[in-house]
Order: sequence, then structure tokens, then C-alpha cells
Amino acid sequence: MAIAAVQVECKLMSPSPIKPRFSFSWLAPFSLLMFGFMYLPILVLAVYSVNDSRYSAEWKGLTWKWYQAFFNDDRILTALSNSLIVAFCAVAIAAVIGTLMAVGLSRYRFPGKQVYQGIAYLPLIIPDIAIAVATLIFLAAVAIPFSGGLIQLSLGTIVAAHVVFCLSYIALVVSTRLTNLNPSLEEAALDLGATPVQALVQVLLPELMPAIVSGCLLAFVLSLDDFLIASFTAGGGANTLPMEIFSRIRTGVKPDINALSVVLILASGFLFAAAEYLRYRSEQKRLAE
Amino acid sequence: MSSPSPPLSTESDFPKASPRWLQPLVLLSPAGIWLALLLVIPTLLILELSLVPGIRPGQVVNPSGLENYTRIFQPDYFPVLTRSLSFAIATTLICLLLGFPVAYWIALIVPKRWRNLVVLGFVLPLWTSSLLRSYAWITILRPTGVMNSLLGTVGLPPLDILNREPAVLIGMTYSLLPYMVLILYAALEKLDRSLLEAAADLGATPAQAFWNVTVPQTLTGIAAGSLLVFISCMGDFINPEVLGGASSMTVARLVYNQFLGATQNWGFGSALSMILILIVSIAIALWLKYGDRSSAGGV
Amino acid sequence: MTIPSHPQTPSLSRRRFLQASATAASGLVLSGCGWTLAEVRPTTLSRGNKDEIYIYTWESYVDSQLIETFKTQTGIQVTPSLFSSNEEMLAAFQAGKSANFSVIYPSDYTVGEMIEKRLLSKLDHSRISGLENLMPQFQDSAYDRNNEHSIPISWGTTGLIYNSEALNPAPDDWEYLWQNQQKLMRKMTLLDDKREVMGVTLKTLGYSYNSTNLQEIQHAYEKLVTLKPAVTTFTTSAWIDRLLAGDLLLAMVYSADAVRVINENPDRKFKYVIPKSGSSLWSDTMVIPKSSPNPDAAYAWINFMLQPAIAADITQRLFFATPNQAAYDQLPTPLRNDRSLFPSEDVINACERIIPLRPEILELYDQYWTKLTSG
Repeated sequence: MAIAAVQVECKLMSPSPIKPRFSFSWLAPFSLLMFGFMYLPILVLAVYSVNDSRYSAEWKGLTWKWYQAFFNDDRILTALSNSLIVAFCAVAIAAVIGTLMAVGLSRYRFPGKQVYQGIAYLPLIIPDIAIAVATLIFLAAVAIPFSGGLIQLSLGTIVAAHVVFCLSYIALVVSTRLTNLNPSLEEAALDLGATPVQALVQVLLPELMPAIVSGCLLAFVLSLDDFLIASFTAGGGANTLPMEIFSRIRTGVKPDINALSVVLILASGFLFAAAEYLRYRSEQKRLAE
Repeated sequence: MSSPSPPLSTESDFPKASPRWLQPLVLLSPAGIWLALLLVIPTLLILELSLVPGIRPGQVVNPSGLENYTRIFQPDYFPVLTRSLSFAIATTLICLLLGFPVAYWIALIVPKRWRNLVVLGFVLPLWTSSLLRSYAWITILRPTGVMNSLLGTVGLPPLDILNREPAVLIGMTYSLLPYMVLILYAALEKLDRSLLEAAADLGATPAQAFWNVTVPQTLTGIAAGSLLVFISCMGDFINPEVLGGASSMTVARLVYNQFLGATQNWGFGSALSMILILIVSIAIALWLKYGDRSSAGGV
Repeated sequence: MTIPSHPQTPSLSRRRFLQASATAASGLVLSGCGWTLAEVRPTTLSRGNKDEIYIYTWESYVDSQLIETFKTQTGIQVTPSLFSSNEEMLAAFQAGKSANFSVIYPSDYTVGEMIEKRLLSKLDHSRISGLENLMPQFQDSAYDRNNEHSIPISWGTTGLIYNSEALNPAPDDWEYLWQNQQKLMRKMTLLDDKREVMGVTLKTLGYSYNSTNLQEIQHAYEKLVTLKPAVTTFTTSAWIDRLLAGDLLLAMVYSADAVRVINENPDRKFKYVIPKSGSSLWSDTMVIPKSSPNPDAAYAWINFMLQPAIAADITQRLFFATPNQAAYDQLPTPLRNDRSLFPSEDVINACERIIPLRPEILELYDQYWTKLTSG
């Protein structure tokens, strides 16, 4: 809302969509250079994923065998699907309870609120290794014995541990958006007889959506890349992709892992582009109407 | 960390049917229970362990003193702490320096239609394993690697920076720049452009407009981005290990070694974690100070 | 909730913080006293599926071909989890992963530690066939008398891999590193393993690899400091590409990694040498933890791995030395005569095994190591 307000204000003051007089000519080339910096290692991974040598010491000719190897490697594929399952579940749970938490924290004063708030953002500052060890000690010393063995180390325990930090990141992003929101809309909905749940789902949620989505993206990437917490809370046989990569790297980086990275980047890039295209089209349609 | 904001609506706005305490309970308890179980109790366990000198797995936990903490302040560990801090501070500054122009370019110059895609494009490399990205930097930075071939083709002398501090800084900057750009972009997107126009109309040079208008308005974003980068650097044990040289021990690696190294001194590891939390807490305290100041004068 | 937050919480009053801390502290005293850190408990509930077994092993010890063969032979599905260091395995195992694994692959000194902690079940030798095939030196060991708890599956040494075109004369002893510092300046790596690196230096000085003498350990540290400027970095895996590309001339490595790299790059001039004054001799073993959910399948797996044909096959495919005499006899001659893989008796006799040390000595190693890598 606040952004919209600013934008409206902008349009009022300068009718032509800002042709920035204050732009610096070096910005575009510099940014492109930074893009180059970001993609240089990816390029290296891509080149060595089609190199006909197990080692990245020299170029030995083009091959697709590493892509075949990776598509036929059950262990990598299982690890990949485990990682995706964990990330999806953890992010989904964290999105729901993290958004609720952010809304609750922005709205109510209660004794111990600051303590709650401090704890909510604690995962952002504790080193991963400490969280990982502590969670495993907790699971082993408390949760597993007290549940009578119902709780076992598995993908489920990784999800439970990942929810903790996903929650913090999502709540952080959502709460910054909440502080910029105009409260009158929701109040109006309530005045018009909407139940609090309706007001939350139909009025507040759409407003928060961009923040929830970007928080989820951030949390997803972090979950997908987490090695320490997963390796400590995973049960037997439940490997995630980073765990697989970490243990394999002991014998050197193999090109099939590079191939996997390239596929992941291409797939997610394509997904983003498609989603963005759809979003843009629906926005154009809405504007046209 | 969300700046203290007044309640958006008071409890009395809600219909009487639902008791006053029900809504906050529904909103706050799921996350609260989750955090209590999987964060607070484990953190207290770590705190307790940090009070047991030299505890190894399989021993009885019996908190008995601050020996683990006093050990950290032995001169041996001083270089470790300062190295961690200087890596984190340097990386934060570099990310800010490199990230700001990129975020500015995306938020203010790229046409609106392409903005989202450009931002996503910038963070896309995060979709690969951080370990693999660090190893890719080895291939680039090693003496006969990609970087020196490129330098050679333009007639520059080769650089030998792998396994030295610059390599660690490159690796850390590389891993964290996308986060910095993301946060700065969010702040710059909200920038009140009319103020920039006004500044320009009043004859301010671009530099003056930048320092007097843009920077104050995005101070919150700058602080948040710097904090995130700083915290992540303090916890990063991959880049120092993979890209660092023979002298690259950092606090995060030391913690890792205590838990997963041959000594298995979990008590000392826990105390180190606590110190790490303390350092980061100080950074956050500073951030809160600046965050408050900027929100008072800014947006 | 009265749980102490951290002092950064913005306007948490000092009084409330103290209150919260006091409550938490009393909670700790009530709940805390006397619990055992990372106590391994036998599982009561989850007895594993009969046709399923989880093993905890090193990368490159198990591949899909092996898993397939085992499944056809026994109908049991094996799922490996991988660890990259003994300490990682032990920490995770003790802290709660014990319920999952039926077979684990610890190295020698870790076996000793696990026996001491009573984590391993005593093996029923009557259920294992093929034990007599093990080479004599692997029938018994200091860390586990008569293989009561562990069956050796592979062994090797720690040594130097080097570029034989660039290094002439070739390295033959550890002292070479110190003598040729200028030539090797930033062109060599050492293992990222304090016991190995300190052990090597102790050996160079004529002491034991496992010295517990404070003066000797300090001596070794001082000698290492003089070598450090020449050391590019301490790493276990990041040397391979750089050695192949010529950026490194020499690396301290485990023989299994060296043999694999040499065999996969036969056209190049890389050689592995076990220094004259001796180095460490390691072996990896198979053990069945007391908490094993499926001991029957565990015995089936051990018996499978002891079959000479299987052991010979994995030696050829995965390049680690088998301790199995019958398997050794089946190997093709070039591999059998590979002195990097199967060094001669004299060389082996000069080597020492790494043995577990007392915590306070380990602590000392750790402090010197931290000093070395941070200074």
C-alpha cells in the first residue's frame, strides 16, 4: 500500500514515467559486469559438465555422458527428490505459521512479546552447526524417548528442523511488509461484517502475498542448500542433495554433479521466467479491463 | 526485528463471539510451540553444555564452570576471532559497494516490465550447491585457471590469489551478493522518486542527490542487508576451508572442528557458539539503533 | 513464556531479563543435572524390515552395482548413507542416528573408541564365513583383539603423490618437504587431519606417530611452523584437479585416493610414495552396532563382502586394497604388483597405526593445530 501510495504520488508530480535525469551512465555496464561475476562459476560448472574428462584439469572434448550418468544415478535422484520434498514441506509449513506469527506479532501487545520476538529471529543468528547438534541432542535425548519411539529420525525430522529457520526468514520478510500496510482496509472489512478469518484471508493475505512469496523463495533456497542441519537430523538412508554432494566431494567433484547443477539452474530459471510471464500477462489483462 | 509497530487494530474491533484471547492464540501459538520445542530447548541445551568443561559425547552433563569461556580469551584464539571479524566486515563492505549500483540500476533504470526477471536472474545462481560454487572458484582462481587465462589474453600478469585472503573474500562476496542486492532492491524500489526529481530541479548534482536523498531513504535496507551478510559470513565455514590457505581458521570452522573433529570437545564448541551468538547480537543491537534512526527520518 | 531471550532484544527491561534468566537457570538445574550427553539407547520399537538394511559408509565403498548383486543374492535391499570423516560418523551416531544403521564402516582407531564406549556388538564368528581368507596381519589388531568386533574391509597408507616430471630427484622421505621448501613453495598441500599431519612431523623427528610426550608434540609443532609458508592449504580432496593441471607438484594423501587418480590418469607422470621413515597404516572395517535394527541382514552383508570374488571385484572397480588373501590372488597381475596399493612387507613394517589418545592429549593436538592454522 505504501509503495502504491508513493507511486501514485510520483505520477502526480511528474506525469511522464520517470525518465531518470539522475541516472549514471556507468550503472548498466557495471551491473552487467556483476551479472558476469555471478554467472562465471555457473559457466565453469556448465563447461565441465560436458567435458569428456572426470577431472576439471583440462578440456578433453564434448560429451553428454555425465548427464546420462546423473539421470541414471538412483542415489542422486533420490537425494534430489528428498531435498525437494523437505524444502517444499518445510517452506509450506513455515509459510503458514510464519505468516500467522508475523501478523500476530504486529498486532498484539502481550507480556513477553519482546522475548517471543527475540526468539523468533534467533535462528538467523545461531551458527548452523550449533543448531544442528542441539537439535539432534534434543531429538535423541528428549523427543525420541518421550514419544516412545513414535518419532524417528527421518525426512520428517529434517522438515521439522528446517521449519525453524524457514519460519524466521519468512516472518522477517512478511513483517517488513506489514509495517508498510494500510490498516484501514482490514478494519473496513471488519466493519462491513466480515469475520476475522474472512478479513485475514480475503483482505490481508492478498496484500501480503508478494512478501510471502519472496520469503518462501529465500527459505526454499536456504533449505535446499542446507548441509549441516540435514545431516544431523536425517535418519538412515534419508540423504538430501547437499549431504550427497558433501560426502562425494571427498573423492573430488565429479562432472555428473555439475550436470545436475546445470539442470537445476535451467529448470528453475525456466520456471521463474514462465511464472513471471504469466503474472505479467494477467496484470496486463487486468489493466486493460 | 520488525520495528515496534502499533497494533493495527485493537481486540475490540472483532465480533464478540470470539473471545479476546482466541485470535492471538491461534496466530501465535503454532509458531511459538514449534520454536519452543525445536529452538529454545536445543539452545538451552547448548548453553548448558557450554558450562561443562571438556565434555565429550557419552559423558554426564554436569554444569560446573566458565572454563570454556575463559579458554576462548587465550591469546591462541585471538587471531581466529579477528580473522572471522575482518572477513565478515570486509565482505559486508564489498557487498554493499558492489550491490548498491546493481540494485539501483534494477530498481530505477530497468523498465518495470523486466525488473522481476532481472532480480530473479541475479539470484538464480543460488540454486546450485554452495559447496560446488566454492569448488568452481578453485577452477577459476588457481594459477593455471580461468582467471589467469583471461588476464593473459589481455596482456596482464597472472595473479596467485587462490588459498589467500582475497580468494576467501571473493568466495564470500559471491555467495552473499545476491542477498544484498535483493534487500537493497526492495528498499530502492520504495524510493520516493519525486524527491530525486525535486533535488535535481533545485540544482543538486547527482552525487549530492545520491548522498542527501537516496542514501538516507534506503538506510534501513542498507542496515538490513549489511546485517544479513555479516551474520552469514560469521557462520560460513565452507569458503574459508575451500578457498582459504594454510592459515584460514575461523570461528565457524573452529566450532565445526569441536563438534566434528577428533577432539570432540562439545563443551568448548558450545561456548564458541555462544560467543558467536554474542558477536552477532552486538551487530544486531547496532542495527536496531540505526534502523530506528532511519525509520524516524526516512519513509 | 518466560524464556530468556538474548540481550539484543530491543527494549527488554533488565529486570525482566534477569527474571527470565533466573527461571531458565532453575529449569536447567532441575532438568539438567546428570543426564548423559549423546547417550546411545537401544531402540525398542523400530525393529527393521527383514529385507531392508541401512549401512553407514564412505563414499566410493559401495556402488549401485554392488547393491544390485547383493539384492539378487539375498533379496535384501541395501541403502547406504555416507559420511566423510570418522568424527562426523561418531558424532551423528552417538547423538541419535544409532537406531538406523545395521553396519557401519569405522576406521581402526575409531573402532577402538567405539568398543571402549560399548557401542559395538561382539561378532558371532560362527555366523561369518571366509574369515580365514584374511591376510595374517589382519587376523588380529591392537584396537580389536582377534577381530572380535570388526572385520577389516580395506586398508592403505598415508603418503605423497607427486608429479614425477617436475620433481627430480623424487621424494622418498618426509624430510624432503623441508629440504625442498623453495621448490615446493605454494605447490604442495597437506591433509586436513591434525593427527596425520602432526604424526608425520613427529615421525620425521624420529618420534612415534602417536606421541603423547608434551615436549615431542611441541617440537613437532615448531617444525611444522617452519614448513607452513610452503604449504598451499590443508585439504583432503581439493588437490586432485590442481595436481593434474600442474598447479601443485606434491600432495599428502591417502593411498586409496592416490591409486584411483593414478589409475584414472595413466598417461601422466604421477607417482605415489610411502616415505622411508614410515607413515600411518590405516584400515577401514565393518562393525555391527549394538543398536543394529537388523543384525541378520548385517551378517549377510558382511559375508557377502568377504566373498573373494566380490572383494576382488571391488578392488578393481573402486581401487582400495583388500585385506582378503583369496581376493588378492584373483586380482590381475598388474594390480597385484601395484606397490602403491599393496606395499612390500618392509614398507608396512615401518608404518604405524594411529591409535586413540587420551582426551587431554587430543586437546593439546587440537590447540597446536588451531595455533598452526590461525597464526
